[in-house]
Amino acid sequence: MVTVTLQRDKCIGCNYCVEFAPEYFAMSKKDGKSVLLRSTERRGFHTMKTNAPGAFEACEKAAKACPVKIITVIET
Amino acid sequence: MTKSGKIELMSPAGDFASLQAALDNGADSVYFGVEQLNMRARASINFTMDDLPEIAARCKEKNVRTYLTLNTIIYDHDLSLVKTLLNKSKEAGLSAVIAMDQAVIAYARQIGMEVHISTQVNVTNIETIKFYSLFADTMVMSRELSLNQVKKICRQIEKEEIKGPSGRLVEIEIFGHGALCMAVSGKCYLSLHSHNSSANRGACKQNCRRKYTVIDQESGFEIELDNEYMMSPKDLCTIDFLDQVIDTGVKVLKIEGRGRAPEYVATTTRCYREAIDAIAEGTYTREKVDCWMRRLSTVYNRGFWSGYYLGRKPGEWTDASGSKATQKKIYIGKGKHYFPKTNIAVFLIESFDISVGDKILIQGPTTGSQEMILEEMMVDKKEGAQKAERSDLITFKTGFKVRPSDKLYKIVPA
Repeated sequence: MVTVTLQRDKCIGCNYCVEFAPEYFAMSKKDGKSVLLRSTERRGFHTMKTNAPGAFEACEKAAKACPVKIITVIET
Repeated sequence: MTKSGKIELMSPAGDFASLQAALDNGADSVYFGVEQLNMRARASINFTMDDLPEIAARCKEKNVRTYLTLNTIIYDHDLSLVKTLLNKSKEAGLSAVIAMDQAVIAYARQIGMEVHISTQVNVTNIETIKFYSLFADTMVMSRELSLNQVKKICRQIEKEEIKGPSGRLVEIEIFGHGALCMAVSGKCYLSLHSHNSSANRGACKQNCRRKYTVIDQESGFEIELDNEYMMSPKDLCTIDFLDQVIDTGVKVLKIEGRGRAPEYVATTTRCYREAIDAIAEGTYTREKVDCWMRRLSTVYNRGFWSGYYLGRKPGEWTDASGSKATQKKIYIGKGKHYFPKTNIAVFLIESFDISVGDKILIQGPTTGSQEMILEEMMVDKKEGAQKAERSDLITFKTGFKVRPSDKLYKIVPA
């Protein structure tokens, strides 16, 4: 299981996460910030769990590229 | 330019405390970022869209113009936010938007909002000014021009009667004080390469402010350098030749520093206000300049130089990692109560101690940045106290209202 979190209020809208993991991230047309797809929000943290193959690698790349370090990826 | 004919003094506002400090110390206009699309994109030093009406109201009350900075590179996914920000700014009655991207310029014009061309555009010649005069009334020159070049541009605008959409002659703005970029006005990719953190999206990691060594890869020898901060320019300061700056015909003087503290905004704004007024009154003297320089060096700075304006050899590099300010503030406590009839404030001391005679600073979102000497105080309702420590409640007279959101600092030599 891969758990991805996004603290989106700190996002500066650089688009890196979408470049690296387009299946999991999209840019919101409303506020120009990243959206973690299929996630649930709690206190500003958006969380998504998946078993999809390749999810860890893609989201890990997005997390590493994020200039404001607001993405975490944990594999359990 | 202001109605009095003096150069317009524009101050930075990173938060409400800085905004108030600018208003209280004589700024003619303020500039600020809202949300992420500005050169200080990180959330901690930005307003949100909900703050716009209050910013506009506070500035209107003091007859101060308000400029929204919306000057990053813009991607497709930002376009909707750009429109929302501009619509809300127009609705709130902001004076203008400082823009770089053509999408921002185009939409602002479409809704009839005044446009200023950001220094990020690197305007350096009269033909570029003619081009942008189709859209903008004020243009910020590239920081790398000399005063002679700026003067020629200003003269040419008058000679050719280059007018903006308002029908008035285009006004030229330059940076007067604050941090300089080692690249040509922000066109830098160091931070993007090292941290994926683009300076042109307002997320500069300031690699240039660090120490570096140079190693010869062939021999492995380290090259000796005069200064390890080899890419970190000193801060710009023009107060000692402000008469020459004004003489160029520049109409707006901008102070850099949206990421800096309220006391920086208060001190720089006050000093430049006094200098501009002194020049207008014919009382601009060496003694005054020395005094302003001393005051300016009490707040955040990396040492001062005149930038590229006087045509000196580039560049002068700082020899420190951060500020060389001669003073620093130490957090003491928070506001608890205020008695308006007697102007008495109550503060709870949470750290360190405070004594009668200390120079103190009270800062808050509505209070701004107020400096005073603690002449007398009561400690836990006892009169004549000289010193107060942690957990004491102190009471003293202020000339202004104090709020629970206010913080009390002691100013000490750095």
